[in-house]
Amino acid sequence: MFEMDGEMDKKKKKKKKINKKEKMEGMKKEMDIVSKRQTPQGFRGLTSAFAAQVLERDGPNELKPPKGTPEYVKFARQLAGGLQCLMWVAACICFIAFGIELARGNVTCFDNLYLAITLIAVVVVTGCFGYYQEFKSTNIIASFKNLVPQQAIVIRDGQKNQINAHQLVVGDLVEIKGGDGIPADIRIITSQACKVDNSSLTGESEPQTRTPECTHENPLETRNIAFFSTTCMEGTVTTGMIINTGDRTIIGRIATLASGVGNEKTPIAIEIEHFVDIIAGLAIFFGFTFFVVAMFIGYAFLEAMIFFMAIVVAYVPEGLLATVTVCLSLTAKRLARKNCVVKNLEAVETLGSTSVICSDKTGTLTQNRMTVAHLWFDNHIHAADTTEDQSGKSFDQSSETWRSLARVASLCNRATFRPDQEGVPIPKRLVVGDASETALLKFTELTVGNIVDYRERFKKAVELPFNSTNKFQVSIHELDDPLDLRYLLVMKGAPERILERCSTILIKGQELPLDEQWSEAFQTAYMDLGGLGERVLGFCHLHLNEKEYPRGCPFDPDEMNFPTSGLCFAGLISMIDPPRATVPDAVMKCRTAGIRVVMVTGDHPITARAIAANVGIITEGSETVEDIAQRKRIPVEQVNKRDARACVISGGQLKDMSSDELDEALRSHPEMVFARTSPQQKLIIVESCQRLGSIVAVTGDGVNDSPALKKADIGVAMGIAGSDAAKNAADMILLDDNFASIVTGVEQGRLIFDNLKKSIAYTLTKNIPELTPYLIYITVSVPLPLGCITILFIELATDIYPSVSLAYEKAESDIMNLKPRNPRQHRLVNEALAVYSYFQIGAIQSYAGFTDYFAAMAQEGWFPLLCVGLRPQWEDVHLQDLQDSYGQEWTFSQRLYQQYTCYTVFFVSIEICQISDVLIRKTRRLSVFQQGFFRNRVLVSAIVFQLLLGNLLCYCPGMPNIFNFMPIRVQWWFVPVPYGILIFVYDEIRKLGVRRFPGSWWDQELYY
Amino acid sequence: MSGTKEEDRKGSSEWRNFFWNPRTHELLGRTASSWGLILLFYLIFYLFLAGMFVLTMYIMLLTLDDYKPTWQDRLATPGMMIRPKGNQLEISFSVSETESWDGFIHNLNHFLSPYNNSYQVQTNDNCSPDQYFIQEDSGEVRNNPKRSCQFNRTMLEECSGISDRFYGYSSGQPCILIKLNRVIGMLPGKDSQSPYVTCGAKRMDSDKIGPLAYYPPNGTFNLMYYPYYGKKAQVNYTQPLVAVKFLNASLNTDINVECKINSNTLAEGSERDKFAGRISFKLRINDK
Repeated sequence: MFEMDGEMDKKKKKKKKINKKEKMEGMKKEMDIVSKRQTPQGFRGLTSAFAAQVLERDGPNELKPPKGTPEYVKFARQLAGGLQCLMWVAACICFIAFGIELARGNVTCFDNLYLAITLIAVVVVTGCFGYYQEFKSTNIIASFKNLVPQQAIVIRDGQKNQINAHQLVVGDLVEIKGGDGIPADIRIITSQACKVDNSSLTGESEPQTRTPECTHENPLETRNIAFFSTTCMEGTVTTGMIINTGDRTIIGRIATLASGVGNEKTPIAIEIEHFVDIIAGLAIFFGFTFFVVAMFIGYAFLEAMIFFMAIVVAYVPEGLLATVTVCLSLTAKRLARKNCVVKNLEAVETLGSTSVICSDKTGTLTQNRMTVAHLWFDNHIHAADTTEDQSGKSFDQSSETWRSLARVASLCNRATFRPDQEGVPIPKRLVVGDASETALLKFTELTVGNIVDYRERFKKAVELPFNSTNKFQVSIHELDDPLDLRYLLVMKGAPERILERCSTILIKGQELPLDEQWSEAFQTAYMDLGGLGERVLGFCHLHLNEKEYPRGCPFDPDEMNFPTSGLCFAGLISMIDPPRATVPDAVMKCRTAGIRVVMVTGDHPITARAIAANVGIITEGSETVEDIAQRKRIPVEQVNKRDARACVISGGQLKDMSSDELDEALRSHPEMVFARTSPQQKLIIVESCQRLGSIVAVTGDGVNDSPALKKADIGVAMGIAGSDAAKNAADMILLDDNFASIVTGVEQGRLIFDNLKKSIAYTLTKNIPELTPYLIYITVSVPLPLGCITILFIELATDIYPSVSLAYEKAESDIMNLKPRNPRQHRLVNEALAVYSYFQIGAIQSYAGFTDYFAAMAQEGWFPLLCVGLRPQWEDVHLQDLQDSYGQEWTFSQRLYQQYTCYTVFFVSIEICQISDVLIRKTRRLSVFQQGFFRNRVLVSAIVFQLLLGNLLCYCPGMPNIFNFMPIRVQWWFVPVPYGILIFVYDEIRKLGVRRFPGSWWDQELYY
Repeated sequence: MSGTKEEDRKGSSEWRNFFWNPRTHELLGRTASSWGLILLFYLIFYLFLAGMFVLTMYIMLLTLDDYKPTWQDRLATPGMMIRPKGNQLEISFSVSETESWDGFIHNLNHFLSPYNNSYQVQTNDNCSPDQYFIQEDSGEVRNNPKRSCQFNRTMLEECSGISDRFYGYSSGQPCILIKLNRVIGMLPGKDSQSPYVTCGAKRMDSDKIGPLAYYPPNGTFNLMYYPYYGKKAQVNYTQPLVAVKFLNASLNTDINVECKINSNTLAEGSERDKFAGRISFKLRINDK
């Protein structure tokens, strides 16, 4: 063992050496190119033209997809599933049967040959379909990848641009920050505390530091090279030069590591396949039983084998897998249109069972932009418009004080709009400046008007930016009135610091001395606004004495040779990152849907709580333990924790809690907010929720969120703010970062679960009327009522479209009022569904088929009692004068066509009943009348399609001899109609019972 | 290892529990009363369904006419059949070996016994030939039972088995009886032209078949035997026959013979039905 290891090591080393050699040479070469091209400044990057040339030479920076399984193998796999194998066996039996018949010299009977060919055609066609689906879903996933392509910030022509990572070329300068994926192999030029996660490449689990220094000869060891496909975990701006792209990167060379799109089967597909296997097993069991019974009764071995095959064909739902796949991908597409990109189809279905959503605050629940929310002036708190589209109400702007306050806010502000944004609505414009200044700039632009002009009129003389010791910002301006030669000093900052420097206060345009009373009023307002979780700034101004500070006076910001006290207080402005408009509704929807929304944020508890209250995560009237303590004036310890619905836990508290305590807290407080949490704590929260049996959806954007995203049942990454690592770990990506989209996803997930149920119930039902003809045929020996080819036509032609159309069914109106389902108890295909479909609706359909069959037989001269036991004579090829009930004599061929007529009649009966079936499957609880017959247009067209196809099969010339369909009498279409009505009425009664008596025996046994 | 075993045991005990849970007294996941209720439900459900089935069948049967089928979609061209009927429609025998044609004789004797003149005269009418024997009902009043025309065995002359007990089989001149399938209401000819049978050899065998004799003359099915009114109305209906006698067929060789009905009203049978309006069989007469 050890020796071998040693050898292996040697080999590895050898390989490494070779690798290294290549690598080093390559690097040298590239460095030459790079140094030649580099301008003296060093950071101008490549020119776009040169980059284009290199791109043409080297090709795009992406890994060629690995040579996966060859396409023909994939196709062959589609032809060799459990079900398909069964069909192959059936086809073989048919061939053998045909061969034996042929050898016996019986050339008249080509049925078995036709059937064999049809069976093979079915396998091949479904195989093609499956292959196409797989191909398409791979494509869908691939196109999702393109929807959220890896972006990289590249420096070209001296400008920073964000481009698709696959357009990068060797020599490009790129910028990387924490959370980004490394877009190619790069050599670090500048870095700040940069760490990369090399685990995908080297297996080192610790993040590795990356610095510009070359520390090792081996490129894999040195610190100044970061590799393609690894992730930058930490660090602000790191610059690097690309030395290898695409397949020439280290990871590209290690081809085995390059993983393409996995072909893993999704759990729902596994569940469905498992289900199909069970059905196939049951089919074989049934088939074998009847094989034995047939042998026992005295049929020939060959005949018994054909019975076996026919039962298999009848009982197996051939179209089920296709239906389910189509339904799921339809929903995935629908979700993609609603800004939810689902990476695996299974996630659609899991989403529906979500019972807890742990949501970030910033950007998900909120708009992720500071906005002015309140103002305090004239001793009043005024609310500003915080809606995204400025559709809210504004405040009274007539006061003189407001004008002064606005002037201070406009002038004492360093933020500016980026150029060339005239067409963009103000709230959406890009701004250079920090969050609060941006908020103030946009606010003043909206209320005062063109700020650029405004600032122009008040020429700035000097400016002292905000710093953390002063906690204020000052600037001095000339007045816009050319006659007034005074300077205006404007100041903003932390409210208490501003107040200290003021001696007067502006009320209704009047400067009043700032006495105790006003001071108290200020304190109250400040506390109120702070209590709302808002960031408050104070504003004040002073007209400088013209004589002391004449025009051209040299103000010095360092010496502060201007007054900074005795100012006039103008007012307070408070800002908040306001919730998105759609979020409160979405949270409300979650609540009615029995889904808990837990806020997990890194923000301050007060802000977190304010936003939580704002969006409805903490409902009106809910109190925390602290609230109760305050209200009752008792210490916090004495409060019964059970009384508090809401709870805000900060990261510090969370650190001290044991997992049991956390579970207890989650259990006892329905409304939870976690503030000041770290991403690692998010994982703890998710685990705790899962311990309580919840299905947890978690949102995240940072690299550090990926463990939580992976751990969660549904990881939701942000499409805009999310890092690549988060997107990779997530199951779903929100393209608009909006919480409401998750709720849409949940709704769609629940919908598709319901609709899949309906679809499967619909598909399963007809297996019974397909099976019973054989059972009756074998046991009672009537002429065969339904042929195998006809069954295949039902399974794979007429019934596919209606079953898919159920995926378009709108939710039964109360879908979001139900509790989330427990995936361990509420399976997709449960006992009740199978039993109801098979033994009730299926039974009615069978009766319908037999009624129509006996009617068609009797009207042509074969009374029911005569049919019983008729089979041996009926199928005797040499008997050309078999008497019917009227004494007429029939040739074999005439009987055969009569038998085909029976097939067709039975087929028509199943079709008519299936129309009724698809109508009843529209709802599981509600009455179809409540749901509306025509609202699902697809379903209506599916019914029309089904009827047209049925008619085509019946009346198209040539059908009798090819597919055994006969042009039947119009009357026979109406024989099964009473049974169709019975199905409809019975199901309405069932639903009525289920609605009226929830929890009753009826509900338990008959609700699926 | 032990873990999996334990799991196995756990799994099997779970199964056992599912089959019979002694704690809750559940058999296959249901208690006795639960089973009782569900079985009662299904009993009622299926009784109702069966009732509805019987009811619809009863209504359906009520709509049926006792004397005439509602539709005769498949019977546009009546089938034809030969007697004696061997397996595979092969008449193969040796003239000298009595036992090789003994079965045919029995078959024909048995088949022709209802055609005995005595029986025919006793039960059936002597009708006027070359015209339909129409016995219409007058409205709701049934004209039943309907009478039938005599087809006497002697009309088959040489092939009646009276003059030649062995139907020519002993002399290598076998008789084959041809019958046209009964179809209610079928009118096989117009302008008092009865349909007739012609037989011929298929393909290469035309020189082997030799001369044929038809009985009754010209091989006609006389129009007076039509229309047929069904076995309930016309209890004693006697199906007309045509006998074909091969007078000088080649010996020791297979002869493929096809007989056809020639009628000016019946549709030509479809290509696929080998027995509609025609019949093919193989004849082989060995001399030893």
